[in-house]
Amino acid sequence: MAPASAQEDLVSGVSQDVVQITSNYTGTDLIVFGAIEHAGAAATRDIVVVVRGPDTEMTVRRKDRIAGVWINNARARLSGMPSYYFVAATRPLAKIASPDTLALYDLGLDALAPETVLSDGAAEPYRQALLRAETRSGLYRQEPQGVEMLSPTLFRVRVPVPASVPSGEYNVQVYLFRDGSVISAQSTPLYVDQTGFARRLRRFAFDRPFYYGVTTVLLAVLLGWLSSAIFRRWN
Amino acid sequence: MEIYLPIAEMSVHWLVILGMGFAVGYLSGLFGVGGGFLLTPLLLFYGIPPSVAVATTASQVTAVTFSGVLAHWRRRSVDVMMGLVMLVGGLFGTALGVYVFAVLRRMGQSEFAVSASYVILLGSVGGLMLNESVRSLRAARLGQSASGKKPGQHNWIHKLPFKLRFRQSRLYISAIPPLALGFVVGILSAIMGVGGGFIMVPVMIYVLRMPTNVVIGTSLFQVLFVTAAATVLHAVDNHNVDIVLGLFLILGGVIGVQYGVKTGAKLRGEQLRLLMALLVLVVAGQLLIGMVARPDDLYSVTVGKL
Repeated sequence: MAPASAQEDLVSGVSQDVVQITSNYTGTDLIVFGAIEHAGAAATRDIVVVVRGPDTEMTVRRKDRIAGVWINNARARLSGMPSYYFVAATRPLAKIASPDTLALYDLGLDALAPETVLSDGAAEPYRQALLRAETRSGLYRQEPQGVEMLSPTLFRVRVPVPASVPSGEYNVQVYLFRDGSVISAQSTPLYVDQTGFARRLRRFAFDRPFYYGVTTVLLAVLLGWLSSAIFRRWN
Repeated sequence: MEIYLPIAEMSVHWLVILGMGFAVGYLSGLFGVGGGFLLTPLLLFYGIPPSVAVATTASQVTAVTFSGVLAHWRRRSVDVMMGLVMLVGGLFGTALGVYVFAVLRRMGQSEFAVSASYVILLGSVGGLMLNESVRSLRAARLGQSASGKKPGQHNWIHKLPFKLRFRQSRLYISAIPPLALGFVVGILSAIMGVGGGFIMVPVMIYVLRMPTNVVIGTSLFQVLFVTAAATVLHAVDNHNVDIVLGLFLILGGVIGVQYGVKTGAKLRGEQLRLLMALLVLVVAGQLLIGMVARPDDLYSVTVGKL
């Protein structure tokens, strides 16, 4: 992406480079901010901000009515889809650049193309269903007017990170468009990780699963006994 | 206050979870069932991922049944002999059930199999219980003896070999029916992710003809061991037991079960069975509607590898 205008450039930052999921985490907002240096005319300039979580494999199933009952009857396995995807822009994406350009940079939900590992029939309906489901759960989000211009050259984007995001390495990408093509782009890694007690519990569950299971049972038995003892005295 | 669940990777309101645990615990104490068949659907409805819901329910049921078993133990209403015989059958059944479930899962039909077996089993068990309890309530009102259980009555069960004496139940019957019952319940509990008390209780009452007061304590005894084993197995095989979710469910559950047992002691056997029959039928009806009604979205998404 050779800059069309050598001068015009982008600097951006994220309010935090680590999102720590603690025991009382209920979701947070990231702020992506930035400025345009050596700014040219504002009319044909656009900014697109993408936050993308680690890719994952997803299985999408379709129910059909068989003998009066809705049964999973067909499926597709889609890989290479992000577990979290947020995109914001200064205008609707279709007005910013051509579909080919958007597809090249994976910009917008329509541009997200999974690798189809296996599919009963055409993969497109499954992809659409996946976008619907992830949008419903807040993990995919598209905000055509989400880039807030504080001044002709300063911008800010609020990125909601819901509690259900998976841990892993995320990527914050900021694109500067001029006349429909990218003239500058910046990418910043962002880590989402469980910390403190939540992390220790998760470690325990995965590293020592047998003891974790036994601990859970002992906890259950202890509390069962305790309640029984307390209520007996109380009666 | 919201709390974050490290295994489910989501946050929930602790009071909602505590309340669910309490409500299901109360019903468990009242009816002598583990309550898994109620708790799992409730958790799913709240948005907990299915595998975490099933596995964590097992830990809650363990706590609630332990508390219930203690309460029944003090009232001497646990037939340990009967419980142990059923448990032996139950462990073999669980092993087979886990295998069957793995096969269904590979076929992508585990969800349907679970719903269908719930509807069929809950529907028939609930129908039978409703029919019987209404009849004995009516008989009691007319001043006749209830036809439901006559301890001295002989049926085909008495012709089977390997007889054992079950003191607490005042029964002298073959070990085969309780073994078989435990085995069948073991299979079902592995497939349906529940302790199986709601199937066991009616069979113990109507087929084995155990006294109702011993039935509840004894079924809790059996469910306790089955769900404790299930919790550990789930933790080892699937890493899907959420101990934080479990803690709040357990806290609510063990308090609820105490109130449930107290209320249960005041109600008569027929009334209890009528209430449980209605509850079971409501759950079956709910699930049936879920199966025949057109889903909001025909597609469903599972994240991660199968």
